[in-house]
Amino acid sequence: MSETAQKTATTTMRPTKPEDVASVVKDAILNGHKLDIRGNGTRTGYGNPVKADATLELGGLDQIEFYEPEELVIRLGPGVTLQTLQAAIAARGQYLPFEPPFWTGLYGADPARATIGGTMASALSGPRRLFTGAARDYILGIQGVNGQGEHFVAGGRTVKNVTGYDVSKLMVGSFGTIAALTSLTLKLWPAPPREQTLLFDATDLDADLVRTAEILRAPIAVSGAVRLETPQGWQLAFRIEGMQEGVAEHVAELTRRIDRPVAATLDDKDSAAFWTTIRELEPLSAAPDELIWRINLPVSQARGFIDVARQRGGLSRCFTDWGGAEIFCTTKPDTATDDAVSRFRALAKACGGHATLIRAPDALRRSQGAFPPASDAIAALSARVRAAFDPMGLFSPGRMTVA
Amino acid sequence: MTMQMPPADPAIIARREQLAAGLRAIVGQEWVVSEESERAPYQCDGITAYMAMPLLVVLPASAYEIRRVLLFCKENGVKIVPRGSGTSLSGGALPVLDGIILGTARLCNILEVDPLERIARVQPGARNITVSEAASPHGLCYMPDPSSQIISTIGGNVAENAGGVHCLKYGVTANHILGLEAVLMNGDILRLGGDYLGAAEGGLDLIGVLTGSEGLLAVITEITVRLVPKPEMARVLSMSFSSVDAACHCVGAIIGSGIIPAGLEFMDRKVLDAVAPLIQETFDSNTAALLICELDGSRAEVDALVQAVTTIANKEGAIEVRASNSDAERERIWRSRKLAFAAIGKLCRDYYCTDGTIPRNRLPDVLAKMAEFSKKYGLNYANCFHAGDGNLHPIIMYDSRIPGDLEKAEEFGADVLRTCVDVGGVLSGEHGIGVEKRDLMPHQFSAIDLEQQQTLRCAFDPTELLNPGKMFPTPCRCAEFGRMHVHNGQLRFPDVPRF
Repeated sequence: MSETAQKTATTTMRPTKPEDVASVVKDAILNGHKLDIRGNGTRTGYGNPVKADATLELGGLDQIEFYEPEELVIRLGPGVTLQTLQAAIAARGQYLPFEPPFWTGLYGADPARATIGGTMASALSGPRRLFTGAARDYILGIQGVNGQGEHFVAGGRTVKNVTGYDVSKLMVGSFGTIAALTSLTLKLWPAPPREQTLLFDATDLDADLVRTAEILRAPIAVSGAVRLETPQGWQLAFRIEGMQEGVAEHVAELTRRIDRPVAATLDDKDSAAFWTTIRELEPLSAAPDELIWRINLPVSQARGFIDVARQRGGLSRCFTDWGGAEIFCTTKPDTATDDAVSRFRALAKACGGHATLIRAPDALRRSQGAFPPASDAIAALSARVRAAFDPMGLFSPGRMTVA
Repeated sequence: MTMQMPPADPAIIARREQLAAGLRAIVGQEWVVSEESERAPYQCDGITAYMAMPLLVVLPASAYEIRRVLLFCKENGVKIVPRGSGTSLSGGALPVLDGIILGTARLCNILEVDPLERIARVQPGARNITVSEAASPHGLCYMPDPSSQIISTIGGNVAENAGGVHCLKYGVTANHILGLEAVLMNGDILRLGGDYLGAAEGGLDLIGVLTGSEGLLAVITEITVRLVPKPEMARVLSMSFSSVDAACHCVGAIIGSGIIPAGLEFMDRKVLDAVAPLIQETFDSNTAALLICELDGSRAEVDALVQAVTTIANKEGAIEVRASNSDAERERIWRSRKLAFAAIGKLCRDYYCTDGTIPRNRLPDVLAKMAEFSKKYGLNYANCFHAGDGNLHPIIMYDSRIPGDLEKAEEFGADVLRTCVDVGGVLSGEHGIGVEKRDLMPHQFSAIDLEQQQTLRCAFDPTELLNPGKMFPTPCRCAEFGRMHVHNGQLRFPDVPRF
């Protein structure tokens, strides 16, 4: 391998230049080595454990290549930390609208080391996804090295682009199984100058979700809609963001439509702090030996799922995000078995949704997979798509699939 | 026509009637069009300069029929060109002589509008505008609004990742798709994502790959789109400038200030002169360029935004700023933009409009280049485009009766697109590559980049029967990509024949 790629351990390569990433991959090809591709490895607990011969850490590619605030665009190495990126763009009044969670608290990692590459590779999007789109909606272009050690480019730096396949989107949520990214180009957005969160006492779950849906259909800039248990009991929380004039009007419209008294109002910093706790799944207060799940399902099925999961799935605590289309929950320590996991997945499936294991013991994620199983046709196509980039299957084998 | 396409197989053409019989057994007697006079309307799409008579036109009524049609075509080696309403401006639905047109006209229903999930589930042949119409009673709309929205289909919009005026603020088609059903050439029916937000979480983003894939990967048979609340209100500003540069700088200043308008459009003097008689309005003689800026939201919010943008425009040297004070006034301001292409059509016998996209701050440079190209080719042109996202639509005027004029117009367009790439932009913002920009792909992508995209195509359609001759300047040669070998950055097939 290249002299310049720094070896931090016998099996970990941490290149600092894109060309060294290609060298590492070419070496792996020659040696028949599988590579576990990661940023700084803070969220390896998300996704399946990888069995590889060596680790390729992209955290060393930590330079911002360019940032043009007036163009709302930044190009940077995958190893730039999320905090560095967010500080750089916040200084110019911009932000990442998809509100990426760190989740480092869930895996006992240092949030300061979480990278943008890992965030995009893991398709991490937070509560604001219901209003502004997901991580995939903010990728404009990528550069990377494929499984043949070739450097390739896809996408570009403009927001509108139908020039070839959208390979950049394919990279988001591919968990290092398609290419080793060497650069990302992201679309940024002006950060709203004001935010306010309104809390209301909850009633019946179904009635609350129907009311939430009514509010989400109204021309109100609601950028967060959760229902959670607080020390004051179950509450609904809505976030409104925008310019001063807009926030006041939207808040008035929200309170008019929800037709119940405001239990609490959180302004700016307090509001931001509240949504940080949601984003990081703190309302679950997950015990170390509990499983953490994300359920994606139709809003109409949320109530049914939670009821049946409490009765038969070992559900312990939960809250609903995205107006009810996403449920985060914990299940009791005794659900950490193959049987219990597949039973729980079946409950989600019966409700028209699917369940992702966000945190579970390695053995369980290895046998059951962190991600919901795909249909045969989709699994076969996904395998062919991966092979199109990585024909020898060198990259993060097993990270998204169960053998 | 000047466009080179993959060679047609005379043996297939000779079997037309036999193939028609086989396809009729699948979709029914009347849904296979074989009479030449009835096939003629399908000879071209929105680019009428390129024409080819399709072998047959097949109009299936279900995903199941599409699956059988694909398997039949695979067995018989027949090429397939999927088509919605045929409004493509890149020749995406240009037929091939030895291939069928697979039309989605009979799959035109809106299957479901679900106000609780804020989604609509539609068939690919449903027209764009009908989705917003169906969603309207719930206060919702489907945001992507290509200017073809009255005619163009959602299936075609997905295939081309259509944009539109409002995508500056609300995103393009790709940002609004939650689920897709698609049929592969091997007969697999994929159900990707689903009918709620987040349905596609947890696997590879195959929806992302299919959106904008121009019909080369699969045939899309059902689409679930995200609906959003209709904005409470909108106001439009019309801002005139005495120079193109000043208008361009104003675009950057608005967005740089943190305001994202719902739409931000640019029209040059030639366009204004062309539309003026149609809208019975005159434009100040000092006006060289006009910006139309739509701002939406709640009332106080919009009023504040109108104020802020007015201030910016004045600072940037606008000679006149007018703001709409009613929906009627708003419509009137938009009319000039909406009529622009029709108005240019009255000035010349033919025009050719292309679609490069550039970083906004390069607008003045690229517009200056266009003036040079106009001199070089001796062809007139006008500019009317989505300034907010740097998506250029130069309208190049020519006369198809004059030999060589079309070729000059194409070269002019190609020069513009190459310039777009050279300043950091891309060949296509919303029209797609199709056949029109196919041969320019190597200007934007290296051989390895293109080869990587072609191997991806092979993962979906190893037969290469789906929409052949589009997007890539060379065949994909999927059979050979099946073999695995390392070649250290060397072009794998240096002697690949070009179409």
